[in-house]
Amino acid sequence: MLQINDVHAGYGNLKILRGVNMQVPTGGIVTLLGGNGTGKSTLLKAVSGLIPLMEGEVLFDGVGLSGMKPHERMRLGLVQVTQAKEAYPAMTVEENLVLGAYTRRDRAAAAVDLERVYEFFPVLRERRKQLSGTLSGGEVQMLVIGRGLMAKPKMLMLDEPSAALAPKVVLEIFSNINRIAKTGVTILVVEQNVRMALILAQYGYIIRDGVIMMEGEAKKLISDPAVKESFLGGSVANSSKALRK
Amino acid sequence: MRILNKMFAGVVAAGIGITATAAFADDIRVGITMRMVSENGQAYGQMMMDEIKGINESGGINGNMIKATLMNDECKSDKGVANANKMVFQEKVHLLIGSSCSSVTLPIVDVTAKAGVPQLVPHSTNSKITQKGSEWIFRVPVSGRYYGGVNAKYVGENIGTKIAYICAADAASVGDCANMEKQMKARFGVEPAYRADVQEKEVDFRSHMQKIKSMDVDGILVAALAETMARALVQSYEAGIGEDVRRIGSSSASNAPVPKIAGDAAKGVFFTAAYAAADQRPIAKLFNEMVKTRYGIHAPDHDFSQAYDLVRIMEIALKNTNFTGSLADDRTAIRDAIANVQGYEGLASGPISFCAAATPQCRDGNRTAVLIGYTKGGENFETEVLARVTMEPDFGLE
Amino acid sequence: MGFDYNSLLAFIIFGVTIGVVYGIVALGISLIYSGLDIVHFAHGEMYMFGAFFGLVLAHNVGVPYPIALIGAMVLTALLGMAVERVFYRRLTRAGGGYTVAGMGMIICGFGMSVALVNVAYFIWGAEAEPFRANLDYIPRLSFPGDIEVPESYVLTAIISVALMAALHYFLRHTKTGLAVRAVAHNKDIAYLMGINVPLMISLIFGLACGLGAAAGVLIGPMQSVQVEMGYLMLMKAFAAAVVGGFGSLPGAIIGGIMVGVFENLGAAYISASHKDIYAFLLLILVLMFKPSGLLGVDAKVKA
Repeated sequence: MLQINDVHAGYGNLKILRGVNMQVPTGGIVTLLGGNGTGKSTLLKAVSGLIPLMEGEVLFDGVGLSGMKPHERMRLGLVQVTQAKEAYPAMTVEENLVLGAYTRRDRAAAAVDLERVYEFFPVLRERRKQLSGTLSGGEVQMLVIGRGLMAKPKMLMLDEPSAALAPKVVLEIFSNINRIAKTGVTILVVEQNVRMALILAQYGYIIRDGVIMMEGEAKKLISDPAVKESFLGGSVANSSKALRK
Repeated sequence: MRILNKMFAGVVAAGIGITATAAFADDIRVGITMRMVSENGQAYGQMMMDEIKGINESGGINGNMIKATLMNDECKSDKGVANANKMVFQEKVHLLIGSSCSSVTLPIVDVTAKAGVPQLVPHSTNSKITQKGSEWIFRVPVSGRYYGGVNAKYVGENIGTKIAYICAADAASVGDCANMEKQMKARFGVEPAYRADVQEKEVDFRSHMQKIKSMDVDGILVAALAETMARALVQSYEAGIGEDVRRIGSSSASNAPVPKIAGDAAKGVFFTAAYAAADQRPIAKLFNEMVKTRYGIHAPDHDFSQAYDLVRIMEIALKNTNFTGSLADDRTAIRDAIANVQGYEGLASGPISFCAAATPQCRDGNRTAVLIGYTKGGENFETEVLARVTMEPDFGLE
Repeated sequence: MGFDYNSLLAFIIFGVTIGVVYGIVALGISLIYSGLDIVHFAHGEMYMFGAFFGLVLAHNVGVPYPIALIGAMVLTALLGMAVERVFYRRLTRAGGGYTVAGMGMIICGFGMSVALVNVAYFIWGAEAEPFRANLDYIPRLSFPGDIEVPESYVLTAIISVALMAALHYFLRHTKTGLAVRAVAHNKDIAYLMGINVPLMISLIFGLACGLGAAAGVLIGPMQSVQVEMGYLMLMKAFAAAVVGGFGSLPGAIIGGIMVGVFENLGAAYISASHKDIYAFLLLILVLMFKPSGLLGVDAKVKA
């Protein structure tokens, strides 16, 4: 569904991605793992069109995305779920969700989808008139995922859904992501929480210094001694540090 | 003889840039220094030269020609004094005319007093000009000491004494307000019913108007520059202050933007001046027509009329002068001839008379101001003469 | 002599009626600031152009006053959008994305202000023009104590409040309004929501300039129209925006009314000859005790 071929990208003269190759097959859950500053977020921005590519190409459903504006990519069904802190705190839960359906013309179907999101996340229905700034961390994460679903995605890209959440809440979020995948939405999860992400996903990529360092079946990666030793340990430390914040 | 003289004069003029003769011959030399920066100033300076030329063409002064020199002082006192010195001492004029700005005229008074040259003032209203005690000074326009009094007299006698004051912060309006207040107190013993000192370019008078409305005053003095005055007038009607409360304008009320911007709100506003374009006398009508055709000015104000009257008074005085050929004697003779001008009736708001004593009572020639009211506002505004008020000669003197 | 409560009431009422006009100009400044992070120094000129457009429509074209008002708003909105698109956007782009705070933008705003004043000089000349509007069909309002509020002030207050209500409805209850708020909050996320951000920025500019124009047309019949009228209004509206909290829309309105009332009371009870100072006195007082303004947007939330 998503094909990333030799992508180079960055900001101004600073090149961060130096030839990334990735594939996300239709209907699966793929995870992109890496620590801070490895290029994960830059890759997401490049795919969703917030920054231009320096080299390479991105194909979605076989369509080249270069030159397309973010909202045009979104109309194709390629939807990025922002980080939880990027909900609009001064808008109500419902306004945030409605905003997710901004590009859609089918109002009636969007209303049905709103109901579906509320069924998915009953807590959002309870809080629909509340400003999203008043929600808990887990609730905001549900909100941004729900907002992504409102765009009627073929593929959802999630940017660190576990960030700054308690382990119990992370589990809840990830099970919800799994439920979404079962409805036929292709998922790309960008994560630092390597262990949880590899349990969720079928396939994983590990990025470091702007290149894919390792890739493979999630089951194999999780038991790979190299990952365990050089990467997994550190990242667990990272995520627990994040938890303490 | 005359041709020779002219040639001689030309030679001298080539050297010093002015016309001059060694001794009295046929020409009467007149020097004029005025502010000629505005279009208006240019036009009335030109008008004086044209009128003098007219006198010469119709036979001159008992056969003698007037040689006039017009200089620009830009309303700056240093330039005005330099002009006066040049004309008095180098050009040796018989008579000096100037200036149109009080700040320039005041120091020139000392120059002419010292040199013994008669000086005619065309358009300076500062009352101190004639209070210096010079025997050589004659003022054609209405002195500033009369203005506030004319307004106050008319208002107190015809409108009432309960007056609200709106005084903007520009110099002219501050003075107009102070004069009016002083005269109302002196004449009728009243203080302002309300007084608001507003900013020079105030835009919102509504609170003041509301307050004035609740006070049931007889009149409102609006002392401000033209645009500010217009806004205040409009807002006074918006506030619901009726037409029965008269609006009194300060000296800026004669400016065309007032009726133009204020529109209907200008109707009924009146102010004091020394000449009214609405003057119905044939001489005034002719004058308006002349100014319009020759200089393209729609409605001449008192700057114009006074410049014109001055030339006529000069003509009368010169015709009554016995020239002897001695410059000092001739200057004295001209001075005495001007002092003998009695009851001159020209364009001015009232008769102009001088007398021999070196006092303001004798030398402020015009003691009659005219009150002008707008009868129609807008682009094609119209005015009427409400009253002429003549003051006692020593009015306003301390 | 007892205290005159009727006068006090009158000063407050007139303060409010002029204050709402400051408020709608401040609303535009706040809208642009929250949407584009630009402090728009040429906004006073939008107000001035609005007044002239209204004047031309009402006097030269001869349309009724309400239509002149709407027409002036539309024309000024288009002018504002053109100015943003042609001049400001280059600068904002150079700053990365659609936001740039900094010297370049401030100087550009001042420059635009001077340029627009000169364009207006060229077209309409320096003389003040009377703006006559027939408002007799609007009733006068009477308050206790024989305070009558004239038609034009009633109209000003009603239209200002209506515009604020319309803007509120637009921002809170329409999809486009939601998108405008999203863009104002964070342009990158707005992009990810599929919002056409450049279009929304044009819309924000158009709305803000349209509001300024409305203020110009409303003030015109009271104060006459002149090319240099924008400067003072800009200062007052700025004071209003800062007092209310820069970037806060309800704050802009409250700030406007506060400035209007405060300067009227100052003129009445302290001295009328320095009326323009009171707006800034209020500004200093508010900044001393609440630097973010009364309803100031928390900087962290904005970022």
